[in-house]
Amino acid sequence: MSDKSVVKVALVSCGSEYAGVHKELESVAKSVDAKLVFPEIDVSSLDTIGRDFGIEAASADLRLMMARAKAVVEGIADVDGVFITSCFRCAEAAIVRNELRRYIHKHSDIPVISYSFTERTTAATLMTRMEALTTIARRKHLLAREHQTGLTAGIDSGSTTTKAVVMKDDKILGMGWVPTIKVIESATEAFDRALEQAGVKREDIQAIGTTGYGRFLVGEHFNAQLVQEEITVNSKGAVYLANKQKGPATVIDIGGMDNKAISVDDGIPGMFTMGGICAGASGRFLDMTAKRLGVDITELGALAVKGMQEKVDMNSYCIVFGIQSLVNSLAKGSTPEDVAAAACHSVVEQIFEQQLQEVDVKEPLILVGGSSLIEGVPKALGQLLKIKVLVPPNSHMIGAVGSALLASGFLEE
Amino acid sequence: MVKVIIYPTNSLILSDLVERFGHKPLAMMEKIKEKISTVGVDSPPLNITPEEPKMGLKYAAVEVPAGVRGRMAIIGPMIDEAQAGIIVNDSPMAFGCMGCARTNELTKYLIRQREIPVLEVDYPHGDNEEEAKEFVYKIAEFLKSLPKNEGEDEV
Amino acid sequence: MSDGENDTLTKIVVISSDSVLPVDAAMKIYQSNTDIIIKETCFGTMITGPRDAVNRVVKEVVDLDRNHIFVKERGFLPGDERRCRSSRGGGPRPGFHYLRHEVQMLPTIGKALDAYDRKVPLKEIKQKKKLDVDKLIELIGSEL
Repeated sequence: MSDKSVVKVALVSCGSEYAGVHKELESVAKSVDAKLVFPEIDVSSLDTIGRDFGIEAASADLRLMMARAKAVVEGIADVDGVFITSCFRCAEAAIVRNELRRYIHKHSDIPVISYSFTERTTAATLMTRMEALTTIARRKHLLAREHQTGLTAGIDSGSTTTKAVVMKDDKILGMGWVPTIKVIESATEAFDRALEQAGVKREDIQAIGTTGYGRFLVGEHFNAQLVQEEITVNSKGAVYLANKQKGPATVIDIGGMDNKAISVDDGIPGMFTMGGICAGASGRFLDMTAKRLGVDITELGALAVKGMQEKVDMNSYCIVFGIQSLVNSLAKGSTPEDVAAAACHSVVEQIFEQQLQEVDVKEPLILVGGSSLIEGVPKALGQLLKIKVLVPPNSHMIGAVGSALLASGFLEE
Repeated sequence: MVKVIIYPTNSLILSDLVERFGHKPLAMMEKIKEKISTVGVDSPPLNITPEEPKMGLKYAAVEVPAGVRGRMAIIGPMIDEAQAGIIVNDSPMAFGCMGCARTNELTKYLIRQREIPVLEVDYPHGDNEEEAKEFVYKIAEFLKSLPKNEGEDEV
Repeated sequence: MSDGENDTLTKIVVISSDSVLPVDAAMKIYQSNTDIIIKETCFGTMITGPRDAVNRVVKEVVDLDRNHIFVKERGFLPGDERRCRSSRGGGPRPGFHYLRHEVQMLPTIGKALDAYDRKVPLKEIKQKKKLDVDKLIELIGSEL
């Protein structure tokens, strides 16, 4: 499949037509040059699909979903990706959706995403997910790249911070890390810092890659060769930095606004989830905790490893509740160490409850993103999952490194 | 002639029987037609926009999934309008408009709550001719018992 | 209320008759000489046109074999892009599965309508009941 071809995405859904979101699904598909298709099924299989697949769902449209997923796995429907979606808050659909996602992932190489919508779901919300799905289908050759070659740069314009790297032949020559204020100005500042540290000029850079929320704007500004969503870029960056490019891996990226949990195989994402219900599960909550404790965010980690989370009752399911428990515990006399530890634990707990249920956790577990530098976070994650958590060097630069790596693929083209 | 809501709301057999015995079926197809021919709305395939799940709040609370509320925005007014109802229970398959079991539970409940004559019949098994006969007879007798003229509704 | 002349309507006519073939019905419609469009599908004939004309033609077709020709309204016009499987890329619209299921039942429904017209009395049907728990316990006991 070439970069130009239309990606066929099988829509395996229940309720989308009646929730008023179908148009949004069509629109997001169109914007990434994908086409939603409805897998052709063996009509007679509908009578027995409940028993055959194993879930005797009461809703007929869920049985239709199972039949469609089966058609995808069995190759009756020829598609490049699968989008599984159903109504938010429907328990029956959630069971079917999750099991179908696992089933497709287990029995095929086709990338899958799953999402539960409300009537407020818009194309913009789904953009990054759908873009990742089409990239995986369309740019497999690019994602197979294992080495960074030539002199390239990567800029990750995130919601909270902007990161830039300059790389040459698998080595990071320079880095820049600044808070995101104005998208282009912050990117320029980060990029200039990286260039300065590397001792090279902007015109010497052979290719640029951009990612993150501001990728389109920044990409246009710097005339980037690669403008790519953060799911594929970060998975690639994570396995590259951790030197785990072959075989399975799980990447968790705790960002400033949302989190990603990605099942990766040979550096290519298979299943992934993005988001979370509230910023209480993201780096933002840790930032607020540091402010409330009167320490710099870089000091929060050291504080947290000295504390005991068990001593503080904290739940950041909602960021407002999280701050309430933060304030309450300090008022009751809890130590800053214990509070910091509890905040790290709570963020990790939210990721566990909201996102790790949606991907199969396979070792190595690679933790990336700015929050991975807060030592309390990998510690809490390791304790919760009872596995070793790998934080690769420069884990906060993951998006920038991934972009620089993938951008070098354009040098040969 | 009275307006009879049928369940499953998109059934060919029920819609046909109601019309055959001189009444007006209130069925999904007609409502869908109204939706899709609304000028100025472009939300394919059914022209259901995020407004419908909001209108559905009349029939189900906000914690009920959007797909149920969107369906209820169409089915609900049909239930309100009905002067009689026929509910077929245990029907083996119901797709499309009837594809959501939760919507179906709510639909049947709301029909039963209305103070209108309602017939409940079981879906006949396979090709069992006696059961099919009973099914048709019950529906025919029920439809014949309903008032012929609109003037004498309110049974 | 709808305007019988201007309001466009689609009805699907499903023929489940030993004496009338879908082609006979189609001929009947072609002969009707009204401003309507017809499309034959695997499960029946779709008739589209002004409401009054469609209703008139449908009645003529149904009268060919009243108890074995069934009719329902359809929301979408035939070939509507939003629903047509050719533009949807693959599988049929969900309502198709339901129609398919009901069509398989039509021969028995037709026979039942014939019987109803002839006032054939109903036979008592014995429903299978689940085994009484006491009876089950007794059975288990007798096996031991």
